[in-house]
Parts: sequence; C-alpha cells; structure tokens
Amino acid sequence: MTKSEANSVSRRTFVQTTAAATAAMMWPGGVHIQGSDVIRVGVIGCGGRGSGAAVDVMRSSDGVEVVALGDLMPDRLALARTTLTKEISGEPALKAKYKVTDDTCFTGFDAFQKVLATDVNYVILATPPAFRPTHLAAAVAAGKHIFTEKPVAVDSAGIRSVLETYKLAVQKGLGIGAGTQRRHQAEYLPAIKRIHDGAIGDVLSGQVFWNQGGLWNQARQPSWSDAEWQLRNWLYFTWLSGDHIVEQHVHNIDVANWVLKAHPIKATGVGGRQWRTDPKYGHIFDHFGIDFEYPNGARVMSMCRQIDRTAGRIAEDFIGSKGRAFLADRAPSRIVGQNAWTLEKPGKPFVSPYVQEHTNLIVSIRSGKPYNELQQVAESTLTAIMGREAAYTGQEITWDEILKADMDLTPPNLAFGPLAVPPVPMPGVTKMSRRFLDT
Amino acid sequence: MVPVPGGTVTIDGKQVKVEPFLIGKTEVTWDMYDVFELALDTAKGSTGSPADAIARPSRPYAAPDYGWGHAGNPAISIARTGAQAFAEWLSAKTGKKYRLATEAEWAHAAQLATKNGASIDQLAWHEGNAEAKTHPVGTKKPDALGLFDLFGNAAEWVTTGDPEAYVTRGGSFRDPAKALGPNARALQDDSWNARDPQLPKSRWWLSDGPFVGFRLVREP
Repeated sequence: MTKSEANSVSRRTFVQTTAAATAAMMWPGGVHIQGSDVIRVGVIGCGGRGSGAAVDVMRSSDGVEVVALGDLMPDRLALARTTLTKEISGEPALKAKYKVTDDTCFTGFDAFQKVLATDVNYVILATPPAFRPTHLAAAVAAGKHIFTEKPVAVDSAGIRSVLETYKLAVQKGLGIGAGTQRRHQAEYLPAIKRIHDGAIGDVLSGQVFWNQGGLWNQARQPSWSDAEWQLRNWLYFTWLSGDHIVEQHVHNIDVANWVLKAHPIKATGVGGRQWRTDPKYGHIFDHFGIDFEYPNGARVMSMCRQIDRTAGRIAEDFIGSKGRAFLADRAPSRIVGQNAWTLEKPGKPFVSPYVQEHTNLIVSIRSGKPYNELQQVAESTLTAIMGREAAYTGQEITWDEILKADMDLTPPNLAFGPLAVPPVPMPGVTKMSRRFLDT
Repeated sequence: MVPVPGGTVTIDGKQVKVEPFLIGKTEVTWDMYDVFELALDTAKGSTGSPADAIARPSRPYAAPDYGWGHAGNPAISIARTGAQAFAEWLSAKTGKKYRLATEAEWAHAAQLATKNGASIDQLAWHEGNAEAKTHPVGTKKPDALGLFDLFGNAAEWVTTGDPEAYVTRGGSFRDPAKALGPNARALQDDSWNARDPQLPKSRWWLSDGPFVGFRLVREP
C-alpha cells in the first residue's frame, strides 16, 4: 500500500472499516454512565471551535475530563494544545480536568479512530462538516456519547448516513447533542415556548437571516498540496463545508424548523458568487435567498450573505395570526401583538449557550435518559442543503427529492496530493444528482 | 476634532492636570473603521506607507454591527486592541498623533461638555429612548463642547496608567439615563466576550460588546 493509499479516505470504505473495527472494541459502559462516573472527553477536530468546545465542556459540569485530542494536521493539533494550556493556566479547576498527554494526541486521516479507541466515553466532533457522517457512524458504533457540531453533513448521501446512525444511536441509548446552541439559549427558550403556546397564534410566515462580512482565508503556502490547501480553507469548498448557507445559516434555519415543529416540504431560491470571486475563495456562493414552504402552508424566507461592507443581520422574525415574534441571539427577544412580551435582560452570571449545551447533555446522560438531537439537526442540515440546491440548480426542490438525491460530493480517495476545484454552480445547468467534480 | 483647553480633573480622589488636546466630534463610525479593518487603503497592494506594518483585525465570525446600521453608526463590538490599532494606523497614515483619550482627558472633557445644562435625554441615546440599539452618530444635540454622544450610544474606551485595566467611560444605549454622565465608568469583564465560540477568543472583537465603541483624541 502506498503512503497516499494508507492516508486515503472515502466515505464508503470509511464507514465499513470503522464500523467493523470499532465494534470489536466497544467501550462496555458507554451506554450507561452513572451519576458519579467521570465523563472522559475526546475531541475530534481541534480548530478554533473544537478547542473552544473542549474548554466549554470542562466548564459545563463537574466530573468531566478532556483526555484525548485528534486532528488531521499536526500543526493544528500542536496549536490547540498550546492554546488550551494557556486558556486554563489561570484556572486550577479547569487544569485539574485537562488530562491530555502526548500519548493521547493523534493526527492524520485516521486520528478519529485512534481517539475512539481510547477510553473516552464522550466525543466532540468538530472537524469540517464533510467528515461528520463518517465520524458520527464510527462514534456510535464505538458506543460513545457525542457532542456534534453543526452541520452534520454536506450532501444527500451524508444525510442518509446520519439518519441511519441516528436510529442506531437510539437503539443503543446514546446521548447526542448538536451545536445548534440556540436550542439551549436563554434568549430563545422563553420566546419559543410562548410561540408554541400560541402567543402569536398560528405561525404563517417567517424571515431568517445571517448576513455578515467575509470570513478568514489561509494564504496558500508553497509546501501545500491542492488537497491540503482545500482542507485548510474548507469554508470555501461545498464538499467540505456545504457552502455558507449550510455551514453557518443552518443556525437560523434550525430556528425556523423549531418554531414550526416541522421541516419544509419544498424550496425555491436564488444565489450567486458576486463579490468573493477570487480563486482563493474556492467555488462557493457569497449570497443566497430561499423561499421555504412548510407542510401547513407557512412560508419562511431565508437570506444569508458573506460580503464585506454590507449591512449585518443575524435574526429570526415570525408573523402569526395574532402577533409577531422577533428573535435574535444577542438582543432581547420580543413578541408584539395581543400577547406582547420582551425578554428581560439576562442576569449574571451569564452562562454561555456553548457551555449550557454540554451541561444539558451531560445531565441527561447521567440521568440515564440521554437525549438525542441528531435527527433534528440532520433535518435542519438537509433543509439548508435543500435551499442551497434550489439556488445552485435554479429548480424547485422538494424534501423527498433532496432526501433521495444521488448526490455525494466527497472526492474519491481523498489524500494529500493533487485535487481539482469543483466548478462554480450555475443555475439552469447544475444538477442536484452529482459527484465531486460534476457541474 | 474639537479643541479642549487644559485644566485639572479629579480621578480616584487625586487632582490630575490635563494638557490641551483635540477630541473627535463623534464616536468613530463603521465607515471609518472599515477602511482599517478591511484594508481598503491597500486594496491594490502595498502603499509603502508605515501604516502597512500595523496588524489588521481578524475577520469577525458574526455581524459585529448587529444590523443596527453600518455607515454613520458607531463602530461597536471593538476590543480595546482594535481601537488602539486603529489610532496607530490613522497616525501612521496622517503623520499626526491620534490615540484613545486618557481617563483624565475624557473626564475633563465630560465636565466641560455638561456646562450648558442640557438634559441627558437631549444629549444621549440611553435605555429609555434608544430601543435597545445604537443610533447614527450626531443625531442628538451637541454638548457644550460641541461633541456628540459623549454620553450614551456606544461606551468609549479610555486608557489609564494600568494597561491591564480595560475601562470605558460615558455609558451606552443600554444604560438608564440616570446612569449616564461624566462619572459613568465600566470595566470589561468576561461577559463582554462570553460568546466567542472559538479558542483563542478574538483579541480584536467583543462577541457580547455591542455597547462598546471609541472616540479618538489628537495631540496638538
């Protein structure tokens, strides 16, 4: 086997091998963590978010230890270790929870398998989204409780894999929390409860937004292969991130599904790549506008943009038969109409939703009735993918079509080395059923 | 910029002498900060200016303007690092010495600013009139010095003798009117950057600091 073959990964072989390998070493107590048992955390994907989540889980609960780290890139893993050590240096309570050693740090395409083979019983999945279906399947096969970042897939094949994994996780009684932290956030929970209790009547329509400027970009280094350049700039490649409507705007789309207690049945949309056209930004779009139709006829307009010097807006508004609701994660939620209400200023100490989501998951695990958010976040991810594909293809796309689409965007035999950039999608030309380099 | 005569002011029970200086008529707005943040001055490559050597802010994860308005609205969610770097960059661009006000300078200006007896409601965007957001600079009445929004709208970074003391003065749109005025003072705590989901947390942006902005002074 050549080095590149040894390092290679394709989704299909991955799922098979990891399921077989990990079934043999299932952590026996994985399903039944008792109240006093230590939660031993492994982090898979140690970029800024994975590192942040490592600290968040340590802050979230007593009896938690971070014991293993895995990342594709050795330099990113080293940076994460340095950053984590510095972050907790002034906090003895956190230092006592940080048990990572050289022997529990793993790099390479198979780092996740090595993390899962340790005695961790709770894993944080925070790699770029492309790898999530594989990592979810392997972690459930290994009997681990999971905190998974959003989104949980980038294409239809990935979503189908995740929905199968969800069923298996339910059978095994595993806890799975998702990084759609608004579901655990003080600014949202009382407002959503009021909406569900009828404060604005029947929800007829909504408008959800994530409009902001551009994001980071890593200048290509001479030593980087094509694949390494794409992986380090994963935001800008649909096969890695899902495009920004899936990677980022899924938060607001998830709120729409939460409010409406459903996923949409069809989508129509527009989008384009108007400002962020340099090849260093891969092939993704920089704006989308999508009309989602829900089973009860309600419509939600979704808008997202990553263009510098434009008006920012990150919020969710809903119009009901008896009033309107205005939700946002960093402003007071409010309802106007006959049941007018405004969220009181949050008290101190302020609890970050990024910490709260771990607290809640761990409480549920220790209670013996772990919750499982995987189906919910998979549906919100697929909603975003459906919107993206409506814009990419220029066609109206139904839920059944997107769920069944023959769409698998993973490059075959991914390894460090040459890798082409997929074409920029073109409405009227791009097909929903496609492979990595297809138009 | 508006000239402020020298004088003395009491800080922490001590009389502090303040030399004459110039102070910005308004808080720094997004359209000004954008040029620095987004390197719009070097869009066509290096200009060969000493300003090129000054680090630019990282890209914020979300929308630091909160959708409350961009051009003409005060630049907010700005960590002190970003405010100070902006002043350094502007100084390098112009050859003049811009910086944040010292706390004594700010307090001295604030005392002069309130001499005409205007009500805080006339001068300031505060909790009772701001509808929970910032407003374009210069839309309230000017104070006795001719400055806008010294109180309310965005709280303003100042420097003290202690570089580890992160202090804003003047209060913000989130504070009740009675809390605004020459004595309004706040110290940054963890809650101002609690929701940056990344580690390390940004040193340029405050994820939970939409009430924090800045104004520049210039040495004569």
